[in-house]
Amino acid sequence: MTLEKQHDYFSLVLASTVHDMKNSLAMLGQSLNHILDEQSKNTLNIKTQKDVGIVQYEANRVNNSLMQLLALYKLENEQLPFSPNYHNLFEFIEEQTIILAQLFEAKNISCEINVDESIDAFFDANLLSIVVENILGNAIRYSKSKIIINCQNDDHLVIQINDDGLGYPDKMIDLEGGYMLGINQSTGSTGLGLFFAEQIASMHQNKSDTGYIILKNGGELNGGLFEIHIP
Amino acid sequence: MIQYNKIKILLIEDFAEYASAVISMISAMGCNHIDYVSSADAALQKCREVTYDLILSDYNLGDGKDGQQVFEELRHFKIIPDDTCFIMITAEKTASMVMAAIESRPDSYLAKPFNRQLLKSRIDKSLVKKKKFRPITKAIKRKKWKDVTSLYEELCNDSSLYRQELKRLQLTILKNTKSINESQDYLENELDNRVTPWALTELGKIYYSLKKYGLAEGIFKRMLMEFPYSLEGYDWLAKIQTILNKPVEAQQTIEKAIKRSPKLIKRQKALGELAETNGDNLAMMQAYRQAVKYGKHSVFSHADEYVKLTKSLGVRLKGIRNEDRDKLISEAKTVFSQLQSKFSKSSGVQLRGAVAHADFSAIIDDQANVLKQVEIASNEFENLDENIGANECIEIATSLQQLGFSELAESVLEDGVEQYFDQNSFIEQVKKITKNKNLIANALKVNKINNRAVKYFKEKKYNRSLDEFLLALNIAPNNINIALNRAQALLKKYQQSKSDTELLHQAELVLSDIDRLSSDDIRYKRYLELLRLSQLMLQNTNI
Repeated sequence: MTLEKQHDYFSLVLASTVHDMKNSLAMLGQSLNHILDEQSKNTLNIKTQKDVGIVQYEANRVNNSLMQLLALYKLENEQLPFSPNYHNLFEFIEEQTIILAQLFEAKNISCEINVDESIDAFFDANLLSIVVENILGNAIRYSKSKIIINCQNDDHLVIQINDDGLGYPDKMIDLEGGYMLGINQSTGSTGLGLFFAEQIASMHQNKSDTGYIILKNGGELNGGLFEIHIP
Repeated sequence: MIQYNKIKILLIEDFAEYASAVISMISAMGCNHIDYVSSADAALQKCREVTYDLILSDYNLGDGKDGQQVFEELRHFKIIPDDTCFIMITAEKTASMVMAAIESRPDSYLAKPFNRQLLKSRIDKSLVKKKKFRPITKAIKRKKWKDVTSLYEELCNDSSLYRQELKRLQLTILKNTKSINESQDYLENELDNRVTPWALTELGKIYYSLKKYGLAEGIFKRMLMEFPYSLEGYDWLAKIQTILNKPVEAQQTIEKAIKRSPKLIKRQKALGELAETNGDNLAMMQAYRQAVKYGKHSVFSHADEYVKLTKSLGVRLKGIRNEDRDKLISEAKTVFSQLQSKFSKSSGVQLRGAVAHADFSAIIDDQANVLKQVEIASNEFENLDENIGANECIEIATSLQQLGFSELAESVLEDGVEQYFDQNSFIEQVKKITKNKNLIANALKVNKINNRAVKYFKEKKYNRSLDEFLLALNIAPNNINIALNRAQALLKKYQQSKSDTELLHQAELVLSDIDRLSSDDIRYKRYLELLRLSQLMLQNTNI
């Protein structure tokens, strides 16, 4: 088998395995929803409600990580479709919060979206949705009660995700431009999400500008602040 | 707001457990009418019986057709109205399969897994959008550009959404109501703002239509540098490079598109054709293999890829002498039998298939089968009830000549010349094959007469025109163009005189003598229109 064929084959096995795992996760989520439907949520005690939230959150996280891994593998092998187009920004952001609706509910976190409904922006929606979903998922994990998403599209697109958690560790913020180095098994940070976000941001280019991400502490809710800039 | 209790939804999903999950999501939205099928064929059947507002289809449907093929077939045969929304469900967000799904342009697509909220949001948006654009889609179909323009303006004022669709609409309006320069200016202005695949493609297409091929080539090259996943761009670029006589580059261009999205039969065939031109038999064989494979369950499959596949298998055989040989021979035999059963109703395909089979049998020294297949071909030719295309005619005659059956070859050519005497490139090719000097002379003669007849017709000298058409028709009785021309001249002459109903009967006779015109021929519409007119005029004389 040539090296190229081996790559193709591995890519196929990887993709089909990921699909299989994703199907399992989907079934798992469905079954959980069925169980919840059966015994209306009010009858669950607080401890169980919390556990349900954890199951939902973790299932979502695994799913998102699988998508990122698969996409990164494809990127490495020049098989990742990149097809930017104009999309309505509000619809796009709203959709990402809809995907995570159950998590917001389970953790009782409110989400505010500040996007002008008439803005169309130019980006790859499939790839950026994986990024935003991941960052939002993290924000849900660490925030106490509220998340605010702000967007501007003046000279370029900026999506800001504010949470009211404790913020990013300083070490992580210092890694700007090298998030692969953020892998730290003791803190549970794999570095995957930010590395992926950075890769996807930089695939977006316009004239001489390239996309990037920024991590800050503070922001509108005095917690963590994630920004992705798309030229 | 969508009234879910009033809409009908069809779910196509081969994975039963997943289907039941989706059904429970839809039920929770308040929809009572959900039909569920687990295969493509059942879906097509269901759509013939019920008019759905929305179809949700998984892309993967096991063996057989996939979701994209279902969608294409539903649209192509107008089994579903334009009003029906189609949402494709894909297994992941970043696969080439998603690219393929997008290429067929469903209303929306959705990656697994999704929750009830997301599904509802997508369905809501698709249905609302479809409803908003319904009047304008209808007006465009009817080419009522004034209505289109005012509906477009309404939409612009009405909503801050759909900005990209509105841009497309604006261009459609410009193209149909203003000079081409205005469309060009509009697109160049768009591109000054932001370089998008859409604007580049449209500008490239405009250059193409203006025959500015060099400029068009530049545009598409630039687009593919910046947006390598704009697959339509490769097809355009290859088409232009072929015109610019760069078949090797064109082949490379198509190969890049196929690497990203291999399932389009049309694209595989374009590759096969280019590879044949370039003498790249291996690539030709692979392309036609894929075309046959992906066409297995598709309504867009054609005899062409089967025949071309056996041709390339034959060429391949000439170079090898080991166990691979047996594999290729048995592959070719399978293809021939598939060709025979899949297109059993078409005498033209059977003729072509038999000649190709004879050709192949000669390569493997099976003389008995050569004779058998030529015999079949000869019978099919005797009972031919449809036209053979110009290229097919050359292909068949060339093979027959090489196999030594020149009598049948000349008959096939004669038949072709009768149809295509006015196509220079065809006549040039015939010259190389035929040994019958009269054939070319006849072609030139009938072409001259026909041209003369058309000239008289344009000058409204219908009597002289009719005489000439009759003369032409005597030399080429099966020629559809002349027959249609003659019928039209008869009707015109009747309109001029308004008394001689014999002309109408003659016109009807000429039209009813046309028995080789298939309904997918581009001339079929004209034939129907003339038939309708002659019958209408006859009815009026009876009153």
